[in-house]
Amino acid sequence: MLRFSILVEHWDLYMQGFGHTIKASVLALIGSLALGTIIAIFRIAPIRPLNWIGTAYVEFIRNIPLVLIVFVFFMGLPAVGIRFDSFTAGTLGLMVYTAAFIAEAIRSGIQAVPKGQMEAARSSGLTYLQAMRYVILPQAVKIVIPPLGNQFINLVKNSSVLGVIAGLDLMYYGDLISSKTFVTFDVYIFVALFYLVLTIPLSLGVGYLERRLLKAR
Amino acid sequence: MIYFHQVNKYYGDFHVLKDINLTINQGEVVVIIGPSGSGKSTLVRCINRLETISSGELIVDGVKVNDKGVNINELRRNIGMVFQHFNLYPHMTVLQNITLAPRKVLGMSEKEANEIAMYYLEKVGIPDKANAYPSALSGGQQQRVAIARGLAMKPKIMLFDEPTSALDPETIGEVLDVMKQLAKEGMTMVVVTHEMGFAREVADRIVFMDQGRILEEAPPEEFFAAPKEERARVFLSRILNH
Repeated sequence: MLRFSILVEHWDLYMQGFGHTIKASVLALIGSLALGTIIAIFRIAPIRPLNWIGTAYVEFIRNIPLVLIVFVFFMGLPAVGIRFDSFTAGTLGLMVYTAAFIAEAIRSGIQAVPKGQMEAARSSGLTYLQAMRYVILPQAVKIVIPPLGNQFINLVKNSSVLGVIAGLDLMYYGDLISSKTFVTFDVYIFVALFYLVLTIPLSLGVGYLERRLLKAR
Repeated sequence: MIYFHQVNKYYGDFHVLKDINLTINQGEVVVIIGPSGSGKSTLVRCINRLETISSGELIVDGVKVNDKGVNINELRRNIGMVFQHFNLYPHMTVLQNITLAPRKVLGMSEKEANEIAMYYLEKVGIPDKANAYPSALSGGQQQRVAIARGLAMKPKIMLFDEPTSALDPETIGEVLDVMKQLAKEGMTMVVVTHEMGFAREVADRIVFMDQGRILEEAPPEEFFAAPKEERARVFLSRILNH
């Protein structure tokens, strides 16, 4: 039987962690969407050097473990005089890491729109940017929503990396409560439940959006 | 109106267009025929710079298409293009498909653009489909919308790149009828097609291509009765006798 007393007695600590996990996730999500979109544009723009930068970013970042990227922000950058608190370092690492995956999702969504669409738009006299805005992107959004949703769910779960550098998130407080009470199983079950409270609605929301976008055709 | 002089084009090592010389006058209907891979589509796509040429000179409507300073969007608004696979925008209604370029390129008001769109939809015979999405239309209807979309920009030239090749046989006729009407009204048209009946009836001139070269250029009655080139004879006998 789960010891709910642990949850009740340490409710404040759980809430502290829960709040920070949400905050880190939301901040990293906004940041990685913006950064990921820029990287995606770098990768498809008809300008070679930008393509290289975009490709280098994606291949570098997504092939390194997340923990290492967070360590760079937490312990690497202070070596050159740039200092972050553990929460900021963790959130930045999470953002930079997730941006690589989001860039890939957006790029493949844009490239999944048939080539003839761009040709039809351009041959009617629309500029490249107009064609992107009115013809390509509205179609790409529908393709991108499901993989993007998956990235957001991964992002929430990956935010647990903050625990490794004492980033005040759910995982960190889980560790704290566990070492105070000498209970492991129950403590972490509650941690898992808090993650589910975030990820299951996200997952359902993505599914709903996906179905609505399909119908809108 | 359209003038090719010694035009060559390569895809890497592959020589797609070889020493193309071709003049198309205003109001002329030129039909380009030839086996697959002969460079017909590439030739047509060079006219509005969907493909760039490697050497030679190409002048369309008084503009050197491949010059650096050319405002390609300005040139393209005067050249309508109809594709094999229609390329309608699936997320827009028929009306929105037709009005997008008039509104965004010519700066027309929505009302004015809608009126013009309806005018051309009547012309191609499907005004009742104005608010339908492309996915709800048959192939022939989609292609007629694509033609209306091209015409709504009031172009000086219409390009057709195998407009009936993706259609089922029953709907080919309705698309060809629209094209015939257009030809009668004096539109300058360049048409790549395998529809020999259409070519014979409507074309002012037939251009026969093979392996990137123009092998023969002749009025249809002459070309179909007695093609001068052996390759053209073989091609005709293959597609007419089946």
